[in-house]
Amino acid sequence: MGANLKEVRGRIKSVKSTQQITRAMKMVSASKLRRAQQAITEMRPYADRLNEMLVHILSNSEGSGSSLFGEERSIRKALLVVVTSNRGLCGAFNTNVIKAAEATIQSKYAPLAESGDLTILTIGKKSFDYFKKRHMKCEKISDYTEIFSDLSFENVSQVSQLVMDEFKAGNFDSCHVCYGRFRNAAVQIPESVQFLPVEKMTHDDAKVSKHKDDYIFEPDQKTLLEQLVPSILQTTFFKYLLDTHASEHGARMTAMEAATENAEDMLKNLKIVYNKARQEAITKELSEIVGGAAALEG
Amino acid sequence: MNLIVLTPERKVFEGEITSVKIPGITGQFEVLRNHAPMVSALGEGPVRIIQKGGENKIFKIERGFIEVIRNEVALLVQGVEE
Repeated sequence: MGANLKEVRGRIKSVKSTQQITRAMKMVSASKLRRAQQAITEMRPYADRLNEMLVHILSNSEGSGSSLFGEERSIRKALLVVVTSNRGLCGAFNTNVIKAAEATIQSKYAPLAESGDLTILTIGKKSFDYFKKRHMKCEKISDYTEIFSDLSFENVSQVSQLVMDEFKAGNFDSCHVCYGRFRNAAVQIPESVQFLPVEKMTHDDAKVSKHKDDYIFEPDQKTLLEQLVPSILQTTFFKYLLDTHASEHGARMTAMEAATENAEDMLKNLKIVYNKARQEAITKELSEIVGGAAALEG
Repeated sequence: MNLIVLTPERKVFEGEITSVKIPGITGQFEVLRNHAPMVSALGEGPVRIIQKGGENKIFKIERGFIEVIRNEVALLVQGVEE
């Protein structure tokens, strides 16, 4: 009995210390999440204005905003960008993103993956580890695991610029991005979106009437679009990363909260077991004493 | 007129100004009150804002865009260095 008591005591201790860790991780994630969410909010006005500008340009001119990046070619080579976190312990977050990536490969690029014409660009250590193991045929441009430690627009732009340059050079004809879209701390949606070629941007008539103004375009409309479209693409790409970053911390926060609660339940059960064992030991000892005394008297 | 300066990471400036000088892609120019509606691409160079009270604010940008409409100026820039 004594050995059992000691054993239970040991388990209580270990659960308690695990709970301390999960609680601390939850707090850290909560504060990181706040910062990541703020980055998304700070970026939104810029992205909105940029898109507005595009609408203004398109609605004040004839024709559509097709550009170099809107060119639809027959798809012979493709690029898949998979954005996950660097670290685990965030529930099924990374698994879900990777699952979305696998689904995209199956539905869109299955023949290309067979023939080795699908390149996978991973951002984040988890997706890198996964695809390194499973897709030996897929060549990687680079792994970009360090990007999350300094998630500035400039750093991210380097990646998106590279993707755009490769597309322009004809090294691939289509590009999808898989990432974790951030809804709120508890909900992250793994999403797979087409990054390139961009869908043709045409002005629909409702917007035209609203924004009809006599704009001056400097230097001219075509050059302006050539500058604006890459900027919009870069901003979009930046958003994918910011979203994934916030999602990661949201997912970790939720996971760690659940873990803390589970530990609480375990502790409760263990305490009951412990008290029962203690009571049992006491009862046994008492009955031994009583039994011994009775034997002496008799 | 009103000016707002935005980068992908933060809001750099917002407020009443009397003029703003910017590095257009084909050369520097200045926007004053009642400028015609305009969209322009910007190159590398300094931006000089003269605020309503006469205060100056100068910073450098790498590239960006400006939109002027009805005395509302929006400056969307990248690589701001103050």
